[in-house]
Amino acid sequence: MDFTLSPESKMMVKAASDFCEKEILPIADSIIENNDYPEDLLVKFAKVRMLGLAVPKEYGGVGTTNLNIILIAEELGKTGTVCAWPMLMNNSTAETIYRWGSEAVREKFLPPLCDGSAYASTAFTEPATGSDPTAITTTAVPDGDDFIVNGAKRYITGGNKKGYGVFYVKDGELKDQKANVTALIVDKSSEGYTTSAPWEFMGLEGMNCVDVFFKDVRVPKSNVLGERGNGFRILLHWIAVERIEQAGYMVGLGQAALDQAVKYTKERLVRGKPMAFMQGIQWMLGDMKSRVDACRYLTYRAACIHDEEGPFDVVSSELKIFVVPTIQEVTRMALQIHGAYGYSKEYKIEGLFRIAAHAGIVASSTELNKTIAGSALVR
Amino acid sequence: MNIIVCIKQVPDVKEVSWDPKTGSLIRKGIPSIINPNDKNAIEAALQLRERHGGEVTVLSMGPSQVEDALREALGMGVDKAIQLTSKEFAGSDTWATSYALGLAVRKIAQYDLIICGKEAIDGMTAQVGPQLAECLNIPQLTYALEIEVTNSKVKIKQKLGDFHRLLEAPMPALITVEREANKPRVAPMDTILEAYGKEITLWDADDLDGEDENFGLKGSPTKLTRVYTPKLIKGKVEMLEGGPEEAARKCVEKIRARYII
Repeated sequence: MDFTLSPESKMMVKAASDFCEKEILPIADSIIENNDYPEDLLVKFAKVRMLGLAVPKEYGGVGTTNLNIILIAEELGKTGTVCAWPMLMNNSTAETIYRWGSEAVREKFLPPLCDGSAYASTAFTEPATGSDPTAITTTAVPDGDDFIVNGAKRYITGGNKKGYGVFYVKDGELKDQKANVTALIVDKSSEGYTTSAPWEFMGLEGMNCVDVFFKDVRVPKSNVLGERGNGFRILLHWIAVERIEQAGYMVGLGQAALDQAVKYTKERLVRGKPMAFMQGIQWMLGDMKSRVDACRYLTYRAACIHDEEGPFDVVSSELKIFVVPTIQEVTRMALQIHGAYGYSKEYKIEGLFRIAAHAGIVASSTELNKTIAGSALVR
Repeated sequence: MNIIVCIKQVPDVKEVSWDPKTGSLIRKGIPSIINPNDKNAIEAALQLRERHGGEVTVLSMGPSQVEDALREALGMGVDKAIQLTSKEFAGSDTWATSYALGLAVRKIAQYDLIICGKEAIDGMTAQVGPQLAECLNIPQLTYALEIEVTNSKVKIKQKLGDFHRLLEAPMPALITVEREANKPRVAPMDTILEAYGKEITLWDADDLDGEDENFGLKGSPTKLTRVYTPKLIKGKVEMLEGGPEEAARKCVEKIRARYII
């Protein structure tokens, strides 16, 4: 067991940190004001080759490890912005397409997801279902060489951005079978594809989560990802990848909260001395540090298991169970240390605290993941 | 077009502190970085390669950990890296450094341009670039804000205080670049991975075919006698009354009275 990062990984972390300082932090406030990120954000990620990270070079990717993706996600998490999500969505969607797609599907969809010309989305949730595949109502009915898709999807990240999305639909020809969910890759500029205005989420300004409506949208049968009827299995793979990425992001967020707290306690004077000298404060900082480190290494472990092709669905659920509430508590402690200032939008910790709240809900709830991890023990 | 970029690994001054008793730099635990201005030199070279083709070679003298700086330059996209490492080079001042770099450039032989940062953040002498040009007997174009290459000639816009000058020279030539010349690129993730697959050429004093007495401390005319922090002179603060013009006039009178201007 080696806890040392390779020199390549260390340099990637530094490059990601440089990128955040140069490209993300200067636009952080405007993203919140506009409830949107600049249209060329994905191109900027592509320029530094942060897209298609797990995709082999022959499809336009970088071909690096999942651990390195998590290290980059951590740096993006430190910015406390939603900018990580378009990048992580492209990476997790591209990884899923590479893993499950036919050669034709890989050749068609991976290059635009890697070169920044297409924003990726993944869509399962519907107004009446979050995790139950039997409750899906969006249908895909075969018609010649196409499917005709009708229905609606809810909370779709980047659903309003041009590019491609993997949409999980009920396959019209398989409706009598138990496994009847098919993964379809949909061009988001297709005729009949429309979206709502973005949802306004606490702490996730600029996330571009929208509802998507399909009205007789024609999707070529050649756009099926994997086998027809195998969609739910593909979804479970993608969501496990997403959970690890989210945990990496949360570790970065927690580190940023800790850094803010340390900085504040060194600057803030109480009875003429910096707060940092107070034992009670030091206990809090030590507690926060140990929590962030524990979350970090649990997350790295999950990424390494993914790299080793081991089963990572349960370990990714463990991240939701442990990392999410732990980092949320770290951001709360950092806010508490700041006193009333922490509750003010003038201070970064306010934003970090709010954005951390999403993680127990987005990309499957903490409670659902407790069921996944717990049921695996008694199966 | 083949370009050599000379870089220096320096302590990250944001992290550096001084020992007030000894007056020396506390280097323990301080991370080393590529001299920030040298990153502008790398960026300038990469941009010229993108326009005119060719190869960029990065060259640095220093102990074994200089490899980290060279790997980072490879990560930014340079093609080759050469490291000058030898105990004979220890203690080099700017003259001895220029001498060793000059020998290395002669050994490389095929080049059109040498690009250096204007100065290093640790020494701030701005001497190595110009001395290297003298050593090689090639034209030097310093403090470049912009670089343009046409028909075997290089033109720069030179920053000279409040003025700009346009300079031109035949190639090969040496250029030193300003911090404002460009924004160094972030190393792309795929290039970082490639950087660790590349071999770094190692040359020691024997490889350079120079005179032993010109290397390192022996070959350094600059002798460091003392490093110290100047004592701060504490004065009395005097607030000047009146509007901006009147206050400025009073201020000038007071400065004149003390023969400062």
